[in-house]
Amino acid sequence: MKKLEEVLKDWEAVIGLEIHAELTTLTTKMFCGCKLEFGAAPNTHTCPVCLGLPGALPVPNKAAIESIVLAGLATNCEIQKHSLFYRKNYMYPDMAKNFQTTQGPIAFCMGGHLELDVDGAAAKERYRLDDLAVGETEGNITRTSDGYTAHVGITRIHMEEDAGKMVHIGGGEGRIAGATHSLVDYNRAGTPLIELVTEPDLRTPEEARLFMQKLRQIYLAIGISDCSMEEGSLRCDGNVSLRRRGTTQFGTKTELKNMNSFKNLHDGLAYEICRQAEVLEEGGIIYQETRHWDPSAKRTIVMRVKETADDYRLFPEPDLAPYDLSDEFIEGVRAKLPELPDQKAKRYEADFGLSAYDARHLVEHRATANFFESCMGIADGDAAKLAKPVANLVINDIAARMNADESFDLANCPLTPARAVELVKLLAEDAISSKQAKEVFAAVLDEDKDPAAIVEERGMKQVSDTGAIEAVVDAVVAAHPDEVARYKEGNQKLIGFFVGQCMKEMRGQGNPKVINQLLAQKLAE
Amino acid sequence: MANFATMSVREIQAGLAGKQFSAREVAEDALARIAAVDPQIHAFLEVTEEAAYEQARTVDEAIAEGRLAEMGPLAGVPVAFKDNMNMKGTHTTCSSRMLENYVSPYTATCVAKTIEAGGIPLGKLNMDEFAFGSSTETSAFGITRNPWDLERVPGGSSGGSAAAVAAGLATVTLGSDTGGSIRQPGSFCGIVAVKPAYGTVSRYGVVAFGSSLDQVGPFARSVEDAALALNALAGHDPLDCTSQQLGVDYTANLAEGVAGMKVGIVPAFMQAEGLDGEVRAKVEEAAAKLESLGAELVEVDLPNAQAAMSAYYVLGPCEAFSNLARFDSVRYGYCAEGHKDLGGQYEESRHEGFGPEARRRIMLGSYLLSAGVYDKYYYPAQQVRTLITQDYRRAYESVDVILAPVSPRTAFKFGEISDPTTMYLSDMFTISINIAGNGGMNMPVGLGAESGMPVGVQLIAPQFKDENMLRVAAALETVYGPAPVAPQFAVER
Amino acid sequence: MTQHVTEKDVRDIATYTRIALSDEELPQMTKDLNDIIDSLKPITEYDLEGVEPTFHPIGSLSNVMREDVETASFSQEEALSNAPKQQDGYFLIPAILGGGDQ
Repeated sequence: MKKLEEVLKDWEAVIGLEIHAELTTLTTKMFCGCKLEFGAAPNTHTCPVCLGLPGALPVPNKAAIESIVLAGLATNCEIQKHSLFYRKNYMYPDMAKNFQTTQGPIAFCMGGHLELDVDGAAAKERYRLDDLAVGETEGNITRTSDGYTAHVGITRIHMEEDAGKMVHIGGGEGRIAGATHSLVDYNRAGTPLIELVTEPDLRTPEEARLFMQKLRQIYLAIGISDCSMEEGSLRCDGNVSLRRRGTTQFGTKTELKNMNSFKNLHDGLAYEICRQAEVLEEGGIIYQETRHWDPSAKRTIVMRVKETADDYRLFPEPDLAPYDLSDEFIEGVRAKLPELPDQKAKRYEADFGLSAYDARHLVEHRATANFFESCMGIADGDAAKLAKPVANLVINDIAARMNADESFDLANCPLTPARAVELVKLLAEDAISSKQAKEVFAAVLDEDKDPAAIVEERGMKQVSDTGAIEAVVDAVVAAHPDEVARYKEGNQKLIGFFVGQCMKEMRGQGNPKVINQLLAQKLAE
Repeated sequence: MANFATMSVREIQAGLAGKQFSAREVAEDALARIAAVDPQIHAFLEVTEEAAYEQARTVDEAIAEGRLAEMGPLAGVPVAFKDNMNMKGTHTTCSSRMLENYVSPYTATCVAKTIEAGGIPLGKLNMDEFAFGSSTETSAFGITRNPWDLERVPGGSSGGSAAAVAAGLATVTLGSDTGGSIRQPGSFCGIVAVKPAYGTVSRYGVVAFGSSLDQVGPFARSVEDAALALNALAGHDPLDCTSQQLGVDYTANLAEGVAGMKVGIVPAFMQAEGLDGEVRAKVEEAAAKLESLGAELVEVDLPNAQAAMSAYYVLGPCEAFSNLARFDSVRYGYCAEGHKDLGGQYEESRHEGFGPEARRRIMLGSYLLSAGVYDKYYYPAQQVRTLITQDYRRAYESVDVILAPVSPRTAFKFGEISDPTTMYLSDMFTISINIAGNGGMNMPVGLGAESGMPVGVQLIAPQFKDENMLRVAAALETVYGPAPVAPQFAVER
Repeated sequence: MTQHVTEKDVRDIATYTRIALSDEELPQMTKDLNDIIDSLKPITEYDLEGVEPTFHPIGSLSNVMREDVETASFSQEEALSNAPKQQDGYFLIPAILGGGDQ
């Protein structure tokens, strides 16, 4: 199979996402007062309503409606005052009523969008991005200095309820295929669920991943869900089709499921794009089907072929009253809207003079943004001066640690904002080198000590004294006449060699800036 | 035997207050009467002896402590429930094999309110399977006989509820009405039968047929008894979004008479093809009586009423199809044995568990909601609902109540009507009221000249003005008297 | 009379509604459904141009909601009290062939 990069030269991938988020921060279910709790003993959080007992009737949770309106406001949707719940009829054992209560053609939130900043390696998946000049727009993207911004449309966000959970017995790895029987637990049945559907505006797996990430940041910021992809409170299905570069008609799409991490979302889509390309290039046909991403086998497999469009016999739910949301209700929700990640980033740019890139990456996680802000509070008068180095520490060192270790909890680790500021100050004052700073960073986390104490203990104070450094520089230059000659003949790269020799002499404690400066001087003589 | 269940609410409560008998005696006597009489009728599917005695104890304690007046409007009154109403610990079968072994783990609000109001629960009553029918013949557990003529049907779907009251087996029973299922059996059995306006009584815990059409209401032998029951039942229930808090005392204006009231007559109903002469004569007679009591008769037009029938047979099956999807052999209900795959278990369980009429309506609803068909039937049916609602609203600009037939004929014989579409005509005068959501009731006005069977007239109220129809019914009662226990089961007192 | 549904259609509806239908029952069910659908004809002949649908008999009903407050749940035993089959606190069902949507 060809690589994604190769495939995307000939084919344009058209991707739309359907993202389900459980409103886990609520106390109770969507249509009954049963408690929302993950991991309880099976069938201990049920009642006539969520078990679908004959005669039971639903009553909607007001807080869930507030949550979805909040989600709509945070994603630039238009809040629909008038909407209805519908019954989506199909029989499946995890759905107690054998219909799902969901919304019809009009959802609470319609027609939103998010601006997606794609930069660095992620931007490289975009085909011929470099054909665009910075600031130039083509389709839904605008070229930026370090990548591009994509305008991604949101079709709707609707309110619905989750199904129960099943355990399949007798098959391999709990899979439904080959199972001899299944067990059903309705604790999750009726959990408030919001489904966001994007326009087919995404073109690369990275865009899909970043969209999902951005949406997660927003949902976390507005506090409507714990957004755990692992526990399934945030789930994503992808619709993918290919079309030849230069054509406009959509190809047949497949629906991809089980992409339960950002990596799986990216890799699953990338695989599916490559698979479809291979089928099409061999003259085959893409069937409209649901496919399952198997991360261990690194491939997608068919779950279900859709011969005809599903006919869910949708009709308005007669047991529920229609909605006529008042301005008062909507404004009441709007008042609860916190600062969103994009707004926060803009504020960081304005208040601390950070670049858009730095600001954007700081707000990628609530934890990093909070950490940064605490640091700025401590830095106080020095905030403007320290903002950039603190941002560097957070975006590079801390983010790398967070990516490497999912259990890393920034809010409760030995590196307090005070220690971070101290570390950054040591670096800014040239007391330690940036290389030393990395060592101190690691040591703070490992040993739970203040940066100053570590510097002291390890005798790492950086030597910036010109006199002391000059002596070492002179000695190094004198000891390597051949290299000096070659340098003077034009081999400028040798400067690195001389710096290294000086550093070695000074056991790494010489200020590289001063060494560089003096070396340049001496070698020019 | 004292036959307390043949008495009125007031008679029972006077006896209790005067310590002439205890609630325990009422319960014992009512249960004994069921044991003696019901084998001929088969109104009851289950007798709740234990619950009856327990409640009698509660009532007797209240009497002993001088709290009878605080007990509620049905204190000490023998009551029973249609078998689509959940009552914790009892079977709630909906007269279907599907739920033959289902034991309710919770209680319907209407049942809870009846018991809270002091009613002594005697048991659960036969019905058409899942309320699909007009004769109670589709019950999986045997027919119920009309106490006026054991060879005839009691009507349906709340046939057991009507027959129990007509035979004096209970003072008040509850039924549910989706297209006429309270009023028509009330008419066939000659008793007062009230379908309140949609939203008056909570539907929580009542097994749904057509969710936008179903409404719970009482059967009784007097207007006052029905009004007292309605006082106990009505009110907003936090568990039913569609229930309303109306705050009406339905007994308040019963004695006011009809002088000055305007009673609407719908000429198209009176001239309807299929309306038997003996029924038409009785409706005309009742109209004349009202006029003589001082009411003004006014002709009103319901131009879209003839579309109600087809709208109903679209909306009812569509909602039923969806409501009955939950009977799938997984959480409760009939489960066909020996299937290695769920699909097979689903299909056999639903085939064997549901009777033919239920299967027909489920399949019809599924067809009517399918892609391409929805726009042809379901959507227009909801538009027709708009027109019918407007018709009623317009009519009530000039009248306080409408007088109409209930059923086009009196009770028919078992097996006499077997064709589903002919059976559906039983509801021709009742259906439009469910579509519009108004209240309607059957008021017995004596016997048909030819059949000798009870005939009732239908009184239809403006939306949420059910007190209007009860007031007119009370006036008719002054002429015709309260509904008697069917002669064969009547007792001398 | 118009043939609204064929025997094949009725077979498909039976499959969709998950109700077994024997070959012997098929002709009668097809006839019954056609008869009933035929009787619904008036609804298709009405002039409903511009008429808004009424999905709910109580026109003024809207925004009925409850507060996000916990109420009592069933015990596991109560939840399973009517289960045809159960195992380890779960409802037990036979294999789901043909997969599903979840």
